[in-house]
Amino acid sequence: MVTSPLRRVLGLFANQQFILLLVLVAVMVYFDVHNGRFFSVAEFQNLVVDLSAAALVAVAELFVIVSGGIDLSVGSTIAVSGVIGAQAIVHLQSHHFGELPSLLVGTIVCTGVGGVVGALNAVLITKANLVPFVATLVTLSAGAGLALFFSQGAQIGYDPVAATWSSTGFWIFTWQALIVLVIVGVLGLVLHFTSYGRYNYAIGSNPFAARAAGINVNRHVASVYVMSGMLAGLTGMFFYIRIGGGAPQTGIGTELEAIAAVVIGGASLVGGVGLISGTILGVAILTVVTDGLVFINVSTYWNQVVVAGFIAVAAILQTVSPGTRKR
Amino acid sequence: MKSRSMRFVQGAAVASTLAASIFTFVGGSAVANAASKKYTVAYVVGAASDPFFLSMRVGATAEANKLGISLVWQGNPSVYSAATQIPIVQNLLATKPNALVLAPTDTKALQPLVAQYVAKKIPVFNVDSGDANQANITSWVTGNNVQGGQAAADALASAMGYAKNCSASNKCVVAIGVSSITTSTDAARLKGFAQELKAKYPNIKALNPIVSNSQPTVASSGFKQALAANKVSGIFAIDGTDLEGASQAIVASGAAGKNIKVVGYDAYATTIASMKAGKISAIISQQPALEGKDIIDAVYAKLTGKGGIKHLNTLANIVLTPANCAKLCSTYVYKTA
Repeated sequence: MVTSPLRRVLGLFANQQFILLLVLVAVMVYFDVHNGRFFSVAEFQNLVVDLSAAALVAVAELFVIVSGGIDLSVGSTIAVSGVIGAQAIVHLQSHHFGELPSLLVGTIVCTGVGGVVGALNAVLITKANLVPFVATLVTLSAGAGLALFFSQGAQIGYDPVAATWSSTGFWIFTWQALIVLVIVGVLGLVLHFTSYGRYNYAIGSNPFAARAAGINVNRHVASVYVMSGMLAGLTGMFFYIRIGGGAPQTGIGTELEAIAAVVIGGASLVGGVGLISGTILGVAILTVVTDGLVFINVSTYWNQVVVAGFIAVAAILQTVSPGTRKR
Repeated sequence: MKSRSMRFVQGAAVASTLAASIFTFVGGSAVANAASKKYTVAYVVGAASDPFFLSMRVGATAEANKLGISLVWQGNPSVYSAATQIPIVQNLLATKPNALVLAPTDTKALQPLVAQYVAKKIPVFNVDSGDANQANITSWVTGNNVQGGQAAADALASAMGYAKNCSASNKCVVAIGVSSITTSTDAARLKGFAQELKAKYPNIKALNPIVSNSQPTVASSGFKQALAANKVSGIFAIDGTDLEGASQAIVASGAAGKNIKVVGYDAYATTIASMKAGKISAIISQQPALEGKDIIDAVYAKLTGKGGIKHLNTLANIVLTPANCAKLCSTYVYKTA
């Protein structure tokens, strides 16, 4: 018979979260062996900046996926909200608004535009009864087009002061990263410790049973898409600060990265399964791999291949390890 | 209560009205113009929303209006690929334009379609990029991308103080950002840049290109990685979006970024502002508006039988620097409207 401490250690290895953490550390050590500058404050600041933007979108996607849906529109929402937010900021700054107030208004505009896209998704899904894949494919396409229309293809705004903010903060945390940390923390509590979160799992597991149990499924699903849109809109503002402007190509393809992170993190695309800690680890692995391959001067074309490998391994782990099936 | 079929009919009616009004909104102006003009020319670009092509449109439209040519301007809004371009070119064939101006997104994929145009006695012209086989092409106006890459290498080496700062024992490291390695223009610029380094600047070591897929944020993130991993002293950005990403990356790296010299393609309003702010050492500017004007002139000469058409018209790149910006920037900035 296996002794209990050993069993506990073996149990840890059956835990997908722990495996993800090991993988993350291993990948980082690998990069540092290739180039000893990897474990440095400067590089970690870069990683945290990239990670924080990706985490916002991935956590939004996690809520949607756990509820049994999918949101393909987040990439376009980032683009269209960033462009419209940038136009608002340019307008205010040309009327002698200060940097900070105009950025605050820009943040509200971006989040609002994202919320509108999310509401549109919600209407298409709950009122027009489109499946989420199709509904959000519609807004993905329309959003990309509108971002180009509103920007006429060029970056809106030139705001180097805002751009410097993306690299200032506290130790390895930029201000943006600290804000994301708070948002993700709150959303984690909501998902795992409130009735709203429990409804999310219930609807994702079995919407009919959830309805029978008295949950207003349509209202809940609508709120999840609106939140996803708002978080994508906020990410649009983050990208504005990073490049000091709103560019229509920004965020294109982010939806697939977010879905990949959620899958690597152990969530099921069928719904009802997924942890916020897994998603954050998934985002961290993807970010570290993507950035690290550039860091050690590997051709970026290998990036997609390596990421594909991680998704495949994570998905296989999910099917073979019974311990990870429960949420 | 309404019956199901009644609802369906109502829904269909609303949908078709909506669709019709969208088409009127989008296509109305082009249709109205076509009636009064003598010639109709189909003009298919790579990615219609690219400021480069927008600027080309400004030049081409002005010349076309002057010469009484109606332009049918087409192109996928943002995707630069043969897969999206071929159906557009195919559909335009049915409209029987007097000529086709094409910026092929692939050196070979568009050739069978071009042959179909020529078989119907519709002359075909290339602008910017060109078909590998030029037998069916009446005239081709393009920028010289290999020369542009070389000019970028020279400008960057000079900005970095090559003779003083780079040596065989202490090589200078240069990061390169591209949108796509497979696009002909990017590949040619990269080739020119690499050739020039090999020939004249052996003490510069170039890192593997960072691929941005035309997204400034992706470019910026990639450049930051390169800066954190290496002692980079120069950046070559292959187009406007990469240049925007590069200038942001050195701003974000603070003191460390101060000594990094950035040279890159495309005179966007934003990149010129960055150069004026001291973040960019030189901008390689193409002449898209002139490309548009020249190709329309060639089309007009062909349609009116005037002749005197050069088969290959290569326009020089302009190197904009802080020193000549006051004189040249306002002329060469890509005007998008």
